[in-house]
Amino acid sequence: MAQKVDVALVDRVKAQLSNLVSETRGRLKDCSYIDLRIGVGEGQRAVAQDGMRKFSLGDYRLSYGLRVIAGRDISAAGYFGQSLGSADVDNLPRVILEGVQQAYERAMANSALKGDRKSRWESLGNPLQNTELAPIDVREDTIPAVCKINPVDVPLEEVSRLTQEVSRAVASSDPRVKVNQAMVETSLIRELIVSSEGASIDRTYALTQALCAVVAIGNSGAQQSHYDCLGHQRGWEIITEGIDEELIKSKPLMQFALDLAADNVALSEARPCPSSDKDVIAVTDPHYNTLLVHEIVGHPTELDRALKLETAYAGRSWLLRNLKENMLGQPIASPLVSAYSDPLLPGFGHYEYDDEATPGRRVMLIDKGVFSGFMNSRQTAATLGVSPNGHFKATDASLVPLIRMSTTVFGAGQQDPQEMIREVDHGYYLVGHRIPSISESRENFRITARKVFEIKNGQVGEMFRDGGIMANTRDYLMSIDAVGNDLRIYPVFNCGKGQPMQAKKLGNGGPTLRGYARLVGGTK
Amino acid sequence: MKELRELEQSVEGAIAFLKTQPEIKSAQAFASANNRMWTRLNYTSHIPCNGVEEAKSTIDYGIGVQVVFDGPEGNRVGFGSEERDLSLEGVKLALEKARQGALVDPEFRCLPQPTGEKRSLFAYHDPMVMGITDQALVEGGWKILDGAIWSFLGSDKLRDMAPGGALHALGLTVGGDLTVLQERMAVGSYEMPEVQSDESAAILAHVTSMVEKAEAKGSGYSVHLKLRELDDGAGSEAAENAISSLGGIRVPSGDYPVILGPQPIGELLSHLVIPSCSAGSFYARQSCFLGKLGKQVASDMVTITDKGNGPGLIGSKGITCEGLPTGETTLIKNGVLNGLLSDWYEYQRMLHDPAAGEKLGARPEDVAPALVPKNGFRFARGGGRNFNVRPHASATNVVFESPSSGDLGALIKEIKRGILVGRLWYTYPIHGLRAGDFTSTLTADSYFIEDGEIKAPVKVNTLRINDNIANILMGIRGMTAETRPTILWAADQIVYAPLGLMVDKVHFEGIAEFMEAAY
Repeated sequence: MAQKVDVALVDRVKAQLSNLVSETRGRLKDCSYIDLRIGVGEGQRAVAQDGMRKFSLGDYRLSYGLRVIAGRDISAAGYFGQSLGSADVDNLPRVILEGVQQAYERAMANSALKGDRKSRWESLGNPLQNTELAPIDVREDTIPAVCKINPVDVPLEEVSRLTQEVSRAVASSDPRVKVNQAMVETSLIRELIVSSEGASIDRTYALTQALCAVVAIGNSGAQQSHYDCLGHQRGWEIITEGIDEELIKSKPLMQFALDLAADNVALSEARPCPSSDKDVIAVTDPHYNTLLVHEIVGHPTELDRALKLETAYAGRSWLLRNLKENMLGQPIASPLVSAYSDPLLPGFGHYEYDDEATPGRRVMLIDKGVFSGFMNSRQTAATLGVSPNGHFKATDASLVPLIRMSTTVFGAGQQDPQEMIREVDHGYYLVGHRIPSISESRENFRITARKVFEIKNGQVGEMFRDGGIMANTRDYLMSIDAVGNDLRIYPVFNCGKGQPMQAKKLGNGGPTLRGYARLVGGTK
Repeated sequence: MKELRELEQSVEGAIAFLKTQPEIKSAQAFASANNRMWTRLNYTSHIPCNGVEEAKSTIDYGIGVQVVFDGPEGNRVGFGSEERDLSLEGVKLALEKARQGALVDPEFRCLPQPTGEKRSLFAYHDPMVMGITDQALVEGGWKILDGAIWSFLGSDKLRDMAPGGALHALGLTVGGDLTVLQERMAVGSYEMPEVQSDESAAILAHVTSMVEKAEAKGSGYSVHLKLRELDDGAGSEAAENAISSLGGIRVPSGDYPVILGPQPIGELLSHLVIPSCSAGSFYARQSCFLGKLGKQVASDMVTITDKGNGPGLIGSKGITCEGLPTGETTLIKNGVLNGLLSDWYEYQRMLHDPAAGEKLGARPEDVAPALVPKNGFRFARGGGRNFNVRPHASATNVVFESPSSGDLGALIKEIKRGILVGRLWYTYPIHGLRAGDFTSTLTADSYFIEDGEIKAPVKVNTLRINDNIANILMGIRGMTAETRPTILWAADQIVYAPLGLMVDKVHFEGIAEFMEAAY
């Protein structure tokens, strides 16, 4: 009889797996390091479309991932990841040992071939080095979940009923709403990381999110399609009560969805956004700046990109050409601009330790306009000769972690956002983010907004649809002449990176900003 | 990896068991086993590196059931799955999840039924790929790196550039991966009780190379159905393309005639055209072709077909994950929107949607053959046919049928002043799919054309395209006869794109001027 999979499984196997990793490392010849990550999740989700129930499911997820570093003359890494089921619960150590063996064999094969190429590739063999991890403060810790209503205690029928109710309310809110979809999920997740160095991090967290998408068609036939996400590392209460924290605020799901629908309807009656030939004053709100900071600050400050590991996929970073030529210590933004990644901030990007058991800490990315550091992993930190700062995360234990944003934000400034608008004779106010397109090394961006308002004589005027701004990253950051005091953090539910692509949940945000950029509307 | 017979037996057992449950009106069982293997490459001559950065895999198997329960309020439909248990116990656990989540979906009609199409593809995979070892996987990655490194070492151009012959100082980089996908599945249902199965395997290599000191970048790709075909070609192609891109120039903003290479064609298709050619996007009023089935949406030179059963094509399968035969769906024929990708659910929904006539631009009963579900797959997790995912419409091999006999050189000769676009980056429908507006940047393999000849490479990351897909499709003026398979990051389908597709006008903006003085 298969055993139920729930987060309590970790209690039963923690000590055993910790020993397994340490003992196996000692037993495997030329093996210098092993780490094991196990993820257990239990939760439920429901989907409704146009007021009709479409899907609901309560299920679990159990998986593990391994890294083994081994090699005789030169070390290399091998990895193995696997999804597991309830049939494995009684045999977990045996199953994982098989995985260790496979990861070890890959590491040893990789090491032998690395050594061979190091000698055969003439001078181009020199960069091939041992796979090394920068040292960390090795810790044992247990972190409990924070939630008022535990996701596993919410009946699936309740999740499904509320999702349908929201979709039905949106569908009937205005005849111009033609299609809508609501997806709600709430889960309890527990992650265990053990390493042959002795680390043991056992973290449980709740994760609840809702996605709403609305299509509206105005009387002129103009179609508008927008979506938005409500989410936090909290329980079911965020869906029914909303969120009212210092940095994260959201209405309950019903009102959140109805507001999105109302925006869509209004936009479907708006005129298309014009384009400008020259830079205009662009005031951008915290929701827009959530995507802006994600794309133009967060991604280029991931050290794996900067060290070219994402050249074929998510791209490089204009901030580092090589270890000698880079922008560290150089001004890249107005002195009013600071930005940082902080895993200890609340929201989707929160954690105490990353997937290497490195304690997470705030990384100043831009300090008063000066580029000051990268998010990193143990391996990339060793390459750059800096300390690990805890930003190596995977979306599932079976996948190899990547350097990811935690909660990456523009820091708050001093100004009242209303005052920032009142100071503008003519410009545009961009509210809410929509879709981004960024050049490969993040040196240029075009990001559309949900709503674009014209500012005339300090007053917010006509609203336009289908518009955004385009600028060179450094030019835009340098142009910022006002930073608001209204820092907000929003959830980002689908940041894609890696091969295979991992769509990660994380937090981004910022205050209202004022800078200069080209206004770009639709193409005829 | 689980054998096909084990999956078939599990599905047979599942259907037999489900039929003993009195409240079940209908059910489908789907068992699968997937192994996805990668060697991820990262070589940097100017930064310490590992060469083969990651040798890794994810593996899974299990069974999923979609069940129609009888109930007083009508049919309730539920889906559940269980990982790594193909026994009756696993089926019971999956059934319980389906039972708990079952709901009344007014748009659900029935589980997939025979469409009248016949399966045409059998035993088409290479058992050697299905049995690839860890050693061969890692060796394959190093072999691709060899291709790039030996191309760099053999280049006189690079030797001339390198101070004191120190090639490493040029910032030579090689990134990408070798991917091996191994998939097995079996499916059966009340409607199609004979258990069907399918087995496929493929090797894909996707490489980007740079001479970073000169901001010169090149791409290389290869796809293989046979293990013996795997070579270092993707690596050497990427390195040689990077070397060819040395000496890149900036091109001023403006409208230019262009020739799109295979990757940009694949990029535009994958982000704009293919999503717009699905029954689901028409239902949701999201397609940029809304209301245009049977109408001109592209130059009459354009014929694009999804060939799910094409012999020798990388993305081919014998049957869909719904147990229906794969086949050909001609999406655009001589410029006219001709067919949509569909799974069974969306097909049924569209046929019975009161607004279908308006959405399609034709009465659904008149165009039913254009909607036949040949693309209900359960792709997820970077590849594989996943038992814990419900079917959704996915493209397979998207093939351009060229009416031309010309080659790339002939297209270039036709252009007075234009751009050969070899690789696009981050292409998105910036105002939603329906509007068709898109933006993208040129990131590699691109050249400025003057007086019918390649004048110089275009410097990477210095041009952004702002345009609309309708302008591109209607502006196509020529294409090469030859096509090649193109791999795109995170895309399920392979695009067999022309080596060149000429478009009469595309709008470009010069970008990132500040980078000229940044280093």
